[in-house]
This record gives sequence, structure tokens and C-alpha cells, in this order.
Amino acid sequence: MTDMIALEQLTKNYPGQARPAVDKLDLTIPEGEIVILVGPSGCGKTTTLKMINRIIEPSSGIIRLQGEDVTRADPDELRRRIGYVIQQVGLFPHQTIGRNIAAVPRLLGWSRQRIADRLDELLHLVGMDPATYLGRYPKELSGGQRQRIGVARALAADPPVMLMDEPFGALDPISRERLQNEFLRLQGQIGKTIVFVTHDIDEAIKMGDRIAILREGSTVAQYDTPETVLAAPADDFVKEFIGSGASLKGLGLARVREVSLADWPTSQISAGREAARRALDSSDHGWVLLLDEQRRPVRWVEARALQGEGSLDRVGLEVRAIVEPTATLVGALESMLGSRVGVVVVVDGSGAFLGTIDMRVIMSAVEVMRAAAHKRVLDDRRRVRAGQEPPANAIAAQ
Amino acid sequence: MNFVEYAVENYDRLLELSLDHLAVVLVGLLIGGVIGIALGITVYQRPHLRNAVLNVCGVILTVPSLAMYALLLSLLGTIGAMPVIVALVLYSLLPIVRNTVTGLSGVDAAIVESAKGVGMGRWRRLLSIEFPLAWPVVLVGVRVSAVLLVGVAALGTIIGGPGLGELIFAGLRVITSPNAVNLALLGTLGVVVIGMLLDAAFLLLSRLTTSKGVR
Repeated sequence: MTDMIALEQLTKNYPGQARPAVDKLDLTIPEGEIVILVGPSGCGKTTTLKMINRIIEPSSGIIRLQGEDVTRADPDELRRRIGYVIQQVGLFPHQTIGRNIAAVPRLLGWSRQRIADRLDELLHLVGMDPATYLGRYPKELSGGQRQRIGVARALAADPPVMLMDEPFGALDPISRERLQNEFLRLQGQIGKTIVFVTHDIDEAIKMGDRIAILREGSTVAQYDTPETVLAAPADDFVKEFIGSGASLKGLGLARVREVSLADWPTSQISAGREAARRALDSSDHGWVLLLDEQRRPVRWVEARALQGEGSLDRVGLEVRAIVEPTATLVGALESMLGSRVGVVVVVDGSGAFLGTIDMRVIMSAVEVMRAAAHKRVLDDRRRVRAGQEPPANAIAAQ
Repeated sequence: MNFVEYAVENYDRLLELSLDHLAVVLVGLLIGGVIGIALGITVYQRPHLRNAVLNVCGVILTVPSLAMYALLLSLLGTIGAMPVIVALVLYSLLPIVRNTVTGLSGVDAAIVESAKGVGMGRWRRLLSIEFPLAWPVVLVGVRVSAVLLVGVAALGTIIGGPGLGELIFAGLRVITSPNAVNLALLGTLGVVVIGMLLDAAFLLLSRLTTSKGVR
């Protein structure tokens, strides 16, 4: 497969900044693929994208389009060969939808009839009725419709390449999912070479044939298919980045009863100090949990407080962070953060001790959720690309 | 003779002077508009130059109109409509330049970027995207200038300029005569009416020339 775009030693220095925003980047984009540039904010991914159509002029390096060095070509003519979609859409508010889409064909001097035919074709392509929408103004459209028009405008002169800068980033989650699916189906028909910037790893996995994970200075941490990136992250940076998805959201949905609880040394108050000391010694924890006759948690005690003699009723700290199995993991996490011991005690309906939740329990729950989420995104992507219906939840959401 | 009778009797003269007044204002406004908009386009992306130009225009507006006419009289060495028009052009600049700059700078950066992205060159971008979007704001500047100039032009009579100032000054000259108040009132009223008509005309123009998409 040939390379549609090749970036060679591409560099962008901004005056007054010690380090280049993009530092000697080498990257090739194969024809007909969607390549995602993804990375944390400030990594230079947007700068990289905007250097391809020279909205930002590179400081040094070479940009090749279909093998031709376009680094010093006329930027306006270059841009007419490259579709460009940005997050804010940037439709011309004083022009009708038809005129907006016709921007590039008009610049290229197409005939009226050819433009009219193309407008019809494009609106059908993005699933909007030409008779209804061609004469409208951008403000009369919803956010999702506007971005469909943004995509149609970028496609108008049938450019071989499209650049998309967080194109669905400003939409609500439901519209975003719909547009992602529509766009993948559309790409199935048009087979453009697409460079797509996002900061959302889930979107990258779903949309990309290949993902370039970038770190600061637009340095490529890994450039591979989504499956490989997920299965074999190149380093800790990639590993951390692909784990950066919606963990907190997941914790708000998961319940305490769904995770395996951690064990903890306990001792009955009535068993006395010696028993409590033994329980503590036999574990590597610094605190022992004292239970009453009904196995309800009563006090947290450290080794120091167990020295000497006497009743255990008043030693150590009161147990405050207690949750039941129906609590969410977010709730458990909150209680944990408020606890001196750093541990939440889980009790059953009658208040009896079941186990504890500590940071490790939360982390392993997050791991499981992530793996499930990535699998879901990959399945979703496979389904959409195979031309099947979107998953049931997307239909319900409409 | 009461004022209404006086006005009816001098109707022809009033109309003639009003039309002269309007003409001199419109000529000044047209020239000022062209210069002001051109200046605004030149400076809006150059912060230092922009501030310098706006400051100069601001200073011009603080010069009392009587002093301005005296100054232009000696500078140009002539009386009549010409020095009056020069004064009107100078006074019109601040609102027009300022609103042109404000309007152009206020165009959403994403819109300008996507105009670049479809391959529009500098001038095409300015003419077909940026200026049309700035237009309603520019026109407000022109409208403010128009109303301002109607008043300033009334004083132009002292250096031989045309217009309703003639009635006002005639009233001043015959201050003791019974018609003095009628004269001055007629001139003043004419000035006010022309100001209001121009204001309304520009409001209408703004409606008619602003795209439905940005109204």
C-alpha cells in the first residue's frame, strides 16, 4: 500500500518556547486509512495536523502529499486538495448551507450545474434532505447537523485527503456516537485517507485503522493498529494513556458487591488484648479491626494502643468508614479518602463484618472495567464497519 | 407670526437648505466611510498601528468644531463647502475606524480558520467572509458618524458652508428682531429631523444588507 502523506523530520518551533511543539516528527499515512493522532493535551497533535495543510507553517522538515513535496507549494491550492474539518465546524454563518458546501468547488471554478449535482449527492451522502436543507442557514441547524455539513463541505471537491481536528468533540455523547458510526459507514463508501486528531482514547480505538499515540513534542510513542496498541502497549506512557478513559464514570456504576473484598485482621473485643495482638502480628497491616459479639466493627487499633492491660472498649479510633454491598465504588472511594486508616469496612445488612475495600481493590476493579470497556469499543467498531446495525443502546438513545 | 406660520411661509427655503445640508453630510460621510473602513482594514491585525490610528482619530474628535473650521480655513485658504467636507471627513473617522476594527476582530477565529482551510486567499477571505460578518458592526459606526456630522455641518455656515446653519446664524444676527427665535428654531428643528431620518435610514440599510443567517 502506498503512502498518501509522508512527514519527514517535521518540526515546529514557537518563538519564546524552549522546546519545539513538534520535534523532528517522521510519520507516514497509508492511502485509504484513518490514522488517529491521539495524546494528552499539549502533546502537539493539533499542531502536527495543521501543518499538513499548512494552517500552521512548519519551521523545518518536509511534507509530502502523494509523493510530491508540498512544503513550499501555494498553500491555498494545497488546501483545496485537502478536506478540513474542525471541532467548532466553522461554517460561514452568513451563507446558506448550499453555499457553504460549495466553497471549494466555487474556488475551483466548477460550473453551476456540476456544483448543483454535487450538492445533492453530498447531502444524501451525509443523510440530509437537499430540498429541506440547502437553503437554510447554519444557525437553523443542530450541532450534529452542522458537523455533517462540515464533513460535506470538506468532501465537496472530492479531495484524496481529509484532516479532522476533534470533529465530534463538541457534541453531546449521543450525537457523537451517531456521527462516529455514520462517519465510519461513510468512509466505507468513500475510502479517503484521513488524519484524525482526538484526545479521547476510546474514540481513537473506535475510529482508527491505525493509532499514533503521541507524547510531548509530538514524539510517536506507538504507531499501530488499535488491537495491537491495546494488547501490547509499547511502554508505560502508552499503558497509562490507554487506561485514562472514563474510570471514574465506571466507578459510579459498579457496586461494592461486584468486587472481591480484601481480607483484614480482626479480633473480638471480648477476646482481649492478647488475641488482638496476635491477629495484628500475623498480618502485615498496621491496624487491627475490633469486632463486637455480633461481629460488628467497633474500633481500629494500632499495636501501640494494645500494650498494657484493660478493656478494649475505648482504645484506638472509632470505625466510621462503613459501607454496605449496595454502595457504589465511588461512594466507597469517598469514604476511604475520609478514613485515617485508608480502608473502608464492608458490612452486611445486619452490620456484621464482610471484608474491606482498599486502594488495591479499587484499582483492580478499574482494570477489569477498562478491559471490558475496550472490548466493547472494539466490538462496536467491528459491528459498525461490517455494516451492521449500531448496538442496541445507541438505538434506544435516539 | 407664530412658528408654524413662519415655517409654512419659508417652506421652500427650508427644503432647499435641508437638501444642501443632507448633501454635504452624505458627501463627507461617503469619503469618511471609504477612508475609515480602509484604515480599519489596514490596522485591525496590527496592534501598535491600530492603537496609534485610533488615538489620532480620538484626538481629532476632541477638537471643537469652531476651532476646526478656523484651522481648516487658514490651512486650506478657502471658504465654502470644501473645508466643511474636510472637517466632516475628519470627524467621521473615529466611529467608523473603531467599529471596523471591532467588527473584523470579532469574527470567530474558527470561521476564519475554516475559510483558510477551504483554500481562500487573504483578500477573498476578507471580502467574502470577514467583512460581510463585520458589516453590521461597521454600519453602526457609520450610523453614529452620520448623526454626529449632521450637527457638525450646522456650524459650517461660519466658513461659508451650505446647509441649515444659515437659518441658525441668521437668527443670531437679528437676535432682537421678532423672527430671531423662529429662524433659529427652524434651523435647529431641521437639523434634528435630518439626524433622525439618517439614523432611521441606516437602521433600515443594516436590515436590508445583513444576511438572514447572522440576523
